[in-house]
Amino acid sequence: MNIYKKNQATVQSLIEETRTVYSLPLFYERLNETINHPRSSISDIVKIIIDDQGLSARILRLANSPLFGCYSKVDSISKSVTIIGTQQLRDLALASSVIKVFKGIPEDVLSMTSFWQHSISCGIVARCLATYLRENNVERFFVSGVLHDVGQLIMCTTIPEMVQQIRDYSVNNDKLYYKTEFDMLQFNHSQVGGALLQSWKIPASITETVTYHHTPRFAKQFPLETAVIHLADIICHSMEFGHSAEWCVPRMDENAWERLNMPVSMLSTILKQSEPLIHETFSILAEGI
Amino acid sequence: MGMVSIDALEVGMLLADDVLDRTGRLLLGSGAELNAKHLVIFRTWGVREADIAGMNDYEAPVQLPPDVTLEDLLAVEKELEPFFRHAGLAHPAVQELLRLAATKKVNNEYL
Repeated sequence: MNIYKKNQATVQSLIEETRTVYSLPLFYERLNETINHPRSSISDIVKIIIDDQGLSARILRLANSPLFGCYSKVDSISKSVTIIGTQQLRDLALASSVIKVFKGIPEDVLSMTSFWQHSISCGIVARCLATYLRENNVERFFVSGVLHDVGQLIMCTTIPEMVQQIRDYSVNNDKLYYKTEFDMLQFNHSQVGGALLQSWKIPASITETVTYHHTPRFAKQFPLETAVIHLADIICHSMEFGHSAEWCVPRMDENAWERLNMPVSMLSTILKQSEPLIHETFSILAEGI
Repeated sequence: MGMVSIDALEVGMLLADDVLDRTGRLLLGSGAELNAKHLVIFRTWGVREADIAGMNDYEAPVQLPPDVTLEDLLAVEKELEPFFRHAGLAHPAVQELLRLAATKKVNNEYL
């Protein structure tokens, strides 16, 4: 097949092309710096968030949503920072910024609503799994889930014809999409997404889960986190919470399942907890897509 | 005695064994009779199942809409199977996901 010869794209070339067009807002870097600075206070962080009105509004709505289950009304940014927590706030701001960065990309290949629905659901399910596992920063799992398929967006903007070809080929030959990608390009969307986040200097606890969400056995530093995202992705595909370019339920890695050490009966509970949260979180984060 | 899942526990059942929370702390001793407050406390502390006297192992039945039968559910499962063919249906977790997906579909159709 001549596709193999025509293909010159590499992970690096895609990332370079993407970085010139899409960059994380300066705002995120400022927020990150302030949160990391040992002497900054809540009010310093609040000052930065207030600069971005859209984000302020989203943070307030999130703090009031069932995600945080706070009884009284959260009516100021400083209150919501206290409730959400600074590290967690940074992660939420990251998810929200990335969704905004990729706003308005052409929908020829992928429906954006459906794509973000899948991604945000995956974030919510991952967050519920992390809560079950008693992990301390559950928002980190949420962001990883939201960003896990970001590589597909990059490929849709840089090599849309190729993506269409891969999709057709995978459907016609009854092969999973991410495996077909690998066959045709020698890399797949998870590596592309991981590489982009790395070039944005996002911490490894997030980038690694994105890079290996289809192949959790290769995750060295954060195997548990990666297993959670891997499983959340499969759960969301199974329940058809939105769609990514994948058209079938991807293969489940049995070792990843074992790592969670969770009884099978827990799955229905996890779903019961996450389903009500998905709709509201989606409407807050994906507003105007 | 038999393990009964939290959704199937009822007021008045007798415990055949101690109920512990996730850290192993004793919540209710064996022989106690369950009341409504106990059920709330079990949920609060993440208890998933309890050993009940005079029962066989029992899972909460799948909640189906009134006019749907188990056969309908199985038919939908069959319908969805191709969608799961790459996921590894031999694994119990994937089977459970298929069942949950079918349940969701059946419930949605009959809303």
